[in-house]
Amino acid sequence: MTASSRNLSGALLGLFLIASAVVAVIALRVGVKRALAPPPPGTAPLSIPLVTAPAEPIQAEEQVFRTAPGVLAIPPNEPRERQAHPRTVKTYRFIRAFPGAPPRIPHALRPDEFRTAACRTCHQRGGYSLRFAAYVPVTPHPERGICLQCHLGEDSLMAVPVPAMDPNLRCPQCHGSGGVPRAAATLTWPTSVWPTIPSTTEGEFPPPIPHSLQFRENCLTCHSGPSAVAQIRTSHPERADCRTCHLTAGTDTLPFVRPTASGVLQTGSVP
Amino acid sequence: MVPAGALQPPDRQPAVTWKKAPCRLCGVGCGLLIGLENGRAVAVKGDPDSPVSKGLACAKGYYSVQALYGADRIKRAMVRQGGKLTEVPLSKALDLVAARLQETGQKHGKDSVAIYGSAQWTVPDAYLAAKLFKGALGTNNVETSSRLYAASAMAGLQSSFGLDGAIGCYDDIDQADVFVLWDINLAETDPVLFSRMLERRRVDPAVRIIDLAPRLSRTSYAADHSLLHVPHAALAIANAICNEIVTRKWAHRSFIADHIAFKRGKTGIGTGVDADGLLVDEPTAATWDDYVRFLAASDPDQVQQISGLAAASIRWLASLYGDPLRKVMSIWGRNVNQDVRGTWTNNAIYNIHLLVGKVASPGNSPFCTTGQPSGGCAVHDAGSLTDTLASGTVQNQGDRQHAADVWGIPAEKIDPRPGAPLLSMFRRLERGDIRFLWILATDPMLSLPNLDRYRRAATKGDHFIVVSEAYPTPATEVADVVLPAAIWLEREGIYGNAERRLQHFDAIVAPPGDALGDTWQLIEVARRLGFEKLFPYESKAAVEQIWEEYGRFHADPRSQLPTIADLRAQRGVMWPYVGARETRWRYNPRHDPAAEATHGDYDFYGHPDHRAWIWLRPYEPAAETPDEAYPFWLTTGAVLEQWGGGAMTQRIPTLHHALPHAYVEINDEDAANLGIRNHETVRLVSRRGSLEIEARINYRSQPPRGQLFAPCFDENHPVQRLTLDACCPISGQPDASKCAVRVERLTGRSGP
Repeated sequence: MTASSRNLSGALLGLFLIASAVVAVIALRVGVKRALAPPPPGTAPLSIPLVTAPAEPIQAEEQVFRTAPGVLAIPPNEPRERQAHPRTVKTYRFIRAFPGAPPRIPHALRPDEFRTAACRTCHQRGGYSLRFAAYVPVTPHPERGICLQCHLGEDSLMAVPVPAMDPNLRCPQCHGSGGVPRAAATLTWPTSVWPTIPSTTEGEFPPPIPHSLQFRENCLTCHSGPSAVAQIRTSHPERADCRTCHLTAGTDTLPFVRPTASGVLQTGSVP
Repeated sequence: MVPAGALQPPDRQPAVTWKKAPCRLCGVGCGLLIGLENGRAVAVKGDPDSPVSKGLACAKGYYSVQALYGADRIKRAMVRQGGKLTEVPLSKALDLVAARLQETGQKHGKDSVAIYGSAQWTVPDAYLAAKLFKGALGTNNVETSSRLYAASAMAGLQSSFGLDGAIGCYDDIDQADVFVLWDINLAETDPVLFSRMLERRRVDPAVRIIDLAPRLSRTSYAADHSLLHVPHAALAIANAICNEIVTRKWAHRSFIADHIAFKRGKTGIGTGVDADGLLVDEPTAATWDDYVRFLAASDPDQVQQISGLAAASIRWLASLYGDPLRKVMSIWGRNVNQDVRGTWTNNAIYNIHLLVGKVASPGNSPFCTTGQPSGGCAVHDAGSLTDTLASGTVQNQGDRQHAADVWGIPAEKIDPRPGAPLLSMFRRLERGDIRFLWILATDPMLSLPNLDRYRRAATKGDHFIVVSEAYPTPATEVADVVLPAAIWLEREGIYGNAERRLQHFDAIVAPPGDALGDTWQLIEVARRLGFEKLFPYESKAAVEQIWEEYGRFHADPRSQLPTIADLRAQRGVMWPYVGARETRWRYNPRHDPAAEATHGDYDFYGHPDHRAWIWLRPYEPAAETPDEAYPFWLTTGAVLEQWGGGAMTQRIPTLHHALPHAYVEINDEDAANLGIRNHETVRLVSRRGSLEIEARINYRSQPPRGQLFAPCFDENHPVQRLTLDACCPISGQPDASKCAVRVERLTGRSGP
């Protein structure tokens, strides 16, 4: 390596460090600003009042959201794709039978994918899927090998060919008349209470985690990135170590009890 | 540390409370936590403390609680009047059941009444059914669906080891190096066990999973190797593996010298068609040399012709079993057991493990799974099969005396002759020998093979059928009385899974309407028959009292049971439970308190000679094989999303939409030759019946040329109409999951 090239690479490194710092500062400012901004006028109140819903992925995420080492969900400087299927609170709940239920698979699978459970090809890494015109949600537990044991699709979707790129052809295949027939209700199943954050802590306190972490230890997979439901996206994904500040709110833990006189630790009732 | 609750004001504490329960579906016995809110089950999560599932559940488990809330739950008793079922008060229906039971017995003899229950029963249900019919009424006409799904496994253990109940346990999965799956689609039949196996391989990439089956299934795609063979070939393959082990001198000669005896049994035992009882095998002594000569007929090259499995593959499998450095677990289930040589095939797989000494130690495990929550001998041990008592058999004088002493009845009351095993029971119903039948927690009008025959038997003739059910099913259609059943979390109970683990659950939600658990249905009927003294149980304490009484049958360390307090406190307990320690590996003195170290490293105490028996079981042909008129093998089985006859799972929307109806899978080349397109409805025809069903090509599994597969959960497409009511003569288990069929197109030219 020549002296000039060393100088050049040193200068580039310096520039890169400065740029990174600037980006981080902007990211923090943007994140904080977004978190405290009032809801846009006319927005209906949501039952998950975490942060104000951003219209599109917030700036900071593009820089820091990583689904695998070295892989960015949205490559910098590339145009953001049209999101035909943004995830909303409504769709989030629709594909779950109850809070904490494994989500159903809301799309068709090719037969070979169905047989071999090739889900991780897309869902381990995330990113934009041309096939489904949507950002791919990321699994919080990629180490689990056989996804279809818990996540079920719909048999009627198996007959739907993989959508073509033309939206005029594509959408009616799933959404048109006679697309996905629904059987009559066979069940009496009232909706349960979905987890919410107590309103008193909003904006003042790191809100506690209102749901179980079982199979969901990796917070960022659901709470950051363009595939996340906007209302539950964190404003500061770059902080990464979420549970430094956010604690579980009793869903996974028993109340603290002192040892009894007999010396046996009373653990409360069986959860 | 900040207390977790401190971050929220008291009024925002989570409304959901969590209670433990074993899953209601399948025989794995996963531990679940059930979320309760306002007296209803609203959510499920895997119990991280469960030693079975370690926090995992499968889709069926997650949605299982929805099975309690189907819109058409049976909430009131119904009596057939003028051909129609009419609601009546429960007490009136119970009066009628008792009156008809008594009247039939008096008029047509004690063996004209029968009860057919289920391995979905809790242990107290099964125990009380046996007590009522065998002890109080004096008839051995007691059967459960264990006969249909697990009888060959029991008979295999009985003949090879002298005792029922698994040798190893699920912990073997965490320790084995090689898994050989014998004709079992574990990814769909026992998903959580399969996940445990994949986790084992993830931790140690040297682990190998070998799928040995007639078709490519979801299991095959996840396995390291998939070896295909024709149906019914497992016995021949097992013998060929033994041949190779012996030829290569991989047999563990000192283990064999110390712990093994060789036995011949009866041969040419037929296919059990129209048999009216169980064949009693007669073991005669044989030697190592006899065994070596016997194996000469099972050369891998010859077995290749029978099985369609390449001789090289057989030799490779033998090298894995024979490798002293690898721990091997063999796993099988219903497909091996549902065979005219089911008992023999079980023996032959045990033979492999016994030849190389890979048994009864961690990771070395021949293991049969079970499909129902009490299938793992919990129900057989309660005495609810025709030839068994809660301890021992009805044929044995000492066992009868013991039962009579516990029950406080004269020993003569218990009949020493076994009654009718499952298929015989329904044939006796057909003949008019049985005139009163009480069916609980299972649906023979969907699950029996050669279904049309037994449906006819149940609809015609002068008999009285009582069905205890939670939902309308094909069985309730033939019922004269329907009793509304409280199920699972609506009543207290104890299940026992495939690894001998007993798991207790409390009544944590209210049953709908008049629904009553089977334990109390049996008690109420028994009391109406005048057996108050035999059934003195108190309302809240009944399960505890029954468990204490049942425990007197199992005071021996070989099968000692935990107390109800142990069961309440723990996430299931494996029996034998001696000195607050559960037994994970039986016959191994380091783990099993009943095994004596005086016999060496192992003590196979089930047989009087303290040896495990290697049986000389020759390959004999299948009951039916494809021919020109019926050129296809049809195999049937379970799928992940549905369970049993679908009575519960088809009412759960997510499971139903994932797999709404049965289908038949056909190889793509066969389909092309027949001109069958994907999703086309075809007709399957066997010698016994026909069925119109949707064809699927390259769907979730791929049968090879000449084979078809159809799942058997769907009452709208009951594939059991085609299958065969032959059975293993020794175990009485029907050969219900394969037969020969032809495929016909509904339009244009018909099939071959």
